[in-house]
Amino acid sequence: MNEDLSYRQEFSIAGGDFSRAGEVSRRIKNLLKELGIDAQVVRRAAIASFEAEMNVIMYAVQGTVHLTVSLDEVRIVVDDRGPGIPDIELAMTEGYSTATKEMRELGFGAGMGLPNIKRNADAFRLFSEPGRGTRLEITMARDGRPS
Amino acid sequence: MSRSLDHPIRINLEKCGGCVHCLKACPTQAIRVRNGKAQVIGELCIDCGACIRYCPNDAIESRTTPFSDLKAFKYKVAIPATVLYGQFGNDTTPNEILSALRHEGFDQVFELSSICELYASAAEEYLAEHPRPRPLISTTCPVVVRLIQRRYPALCELIIPIEPPREIAAKILRATLPGILKLAPEDIGMIHITPCPAKMVSINRPATMEKSFLDGAISIRDIYGPLLKSLKKIDQNSIMRHLFPENVFSGLGLGWSLSGGEARGFKKHRTIAVSGVRDTIRVLDQVESGQLKDMDYLECMVCPDGCVGGPLAVENRFVAKSRILHLMGKAGERVGVERSDFGPLVREDFLSFQHPVKPAEVPRLDPDPVRAIQKAARRDEILRRLPLKDCGACGAPDCRTLAEDIVRGLAELDDCPIIRKEPR
Repeated sequence: MNEDLSYRQEFSIAGGDFSRAGEVSRRIKNLLKELGIDAQVVRRAAIASFEAEMNVIMYAVQGTVHLTVSLDEVRIVVDDRGPGIPDIELAMTEGYSTATKEMRELGFGAGMGLPNIKRNADAFRLFSEPGRGTRLEITMARDGRPS
Repeated sequence: MSRSLDHPIRINLEKCGGCVHCLKACPTQAIRVRNGKAQVIGELCIDCGACIRYCPNDAIESRTTPFSDLKAFKYKVAIPATVLYGQFGNDTTPNEILSALRHEGFDQVFELSSICELYASAAEEYLAEHPRPRPLISTTCPVVVRLIQRRYPALCELIIPIEPPREIAAKILRATLPGILKLAPEDIGMIHITPCPAKMVSINRPATMEKSFLDGAISIRDIYGPLLKSLKKIDQNSIMRHLFPENVFSGLGLGWSLSGGEARGFKKHRTIAVSGVRDTIRVLDQVESGQLKDMDYLECMVCPDGCVGGPLAVENRFVAKSRILHLMGKAGERVGVERSDFGPLVREDFLSFQHPVKPAEVPRLDPDPVRAIQKAARRDEILRRLPLKDCGACGAPDCRTLAEDIVRGLAELDDCPIIRKEPR
């Protein structure tokens, strides 16, 4: 019965809203701390969710973040409405970026976002339908990385 | 009682009016009003003193060392924070202030500005030798250290392992004075003079060593009156002190009392200076989510504008800042500390921590993971029923905290006056 037990929360991100950048990842982080998740796992979730949040703000129209905390894992799913990613393999290459000059001037778009998310997650999946949107799913084991 | 050692903040129940000012001021939601009086939740309090600043009834007190405790020492040394130099009239020089301290019963007064400069040099050396991780965080503000231990446990490893100037000064004196004075170490009392309520905790419960090198802290508030009197009394000597100053001040070190003053001492590294407790929390949030890795060093001071904004200072921080800036201008860029001179201290780890800063236990929703999840869900449910006005009338600072208190069994839904008035 306890296997179904989980805490769920949803957050909305508006594309282009740089002024609130970091707000969703901050709230996720604080929830995870409250729930007693290991500090290093919280930090990795904070880094990954911040990068994911920035991707929505920079490229998409609107995004929804679904946080699920169960007894074994933290799962973060980000769904966005936006241009999507035509070539996921290329997008996963470190240093590859489609960021505009403006975004780079703000210090974003170094092409490290997706690789950084992957590095901090235990499981990582990325789906995209060009022209419609992107779905990112990451999970982290609650007590550090699984062996 | 260990409670008093752990936290210096105390509510004077006679003065407390049970209003909501301190609830709102507290950055860690550590205060509740129960039965018409404010209470501090010790595990959550970081001793920042924000509540002291906002209480309209002056009902929040901070325990510092009483003068009578000094009698226990045969030889008393005062180590004043450089903030003290900004507390008196424009014509009062730091040397006059230091000699007024001696007049008040201290056998020796140790000037901190040169030690501040030494800290900056040692920190730059450390940064050069340790290219990662980044950014490293200053140890000067004890509240920042406590905040990181409680709210940002993963950032403990970013705290630069160099003791703050006040501890370095006391350690130097401990190493030298007993021999010079032929006194037992316990007969020598090292007293910090400070605008900061958290220094008392950092002395009683240091985060990086077994025992602090300091013996106590006297607040500027407490010593201001006696010093002012002394300054008037010894006026006839002031010409001599003007002509033959006893101390040479480091311009860089004097800046320590201002936000950005510490960062100013770094010549080869990228620094960022933050002041105010809420902005400090915002920036630490950014560090935790992996931003600011391109910064080498982070100076955070939880008081507005830095230590000059400390709640136990007397002079308003703008005037104090103006005076300190004036003194810094007069001292110029004169270097008080030669790098080659303190090399041996660094090599001997004289300035280093005894042990790293460790995360502190904070109360979670529940230690049991199943119940924690259940409680978080219930908290969200309760929060949806609350009016979200964050008025504080229930005794908790905001609706979310009330909802949390309810699931922890510390409050009831009916504590909310708006819910109570609703027809059933």
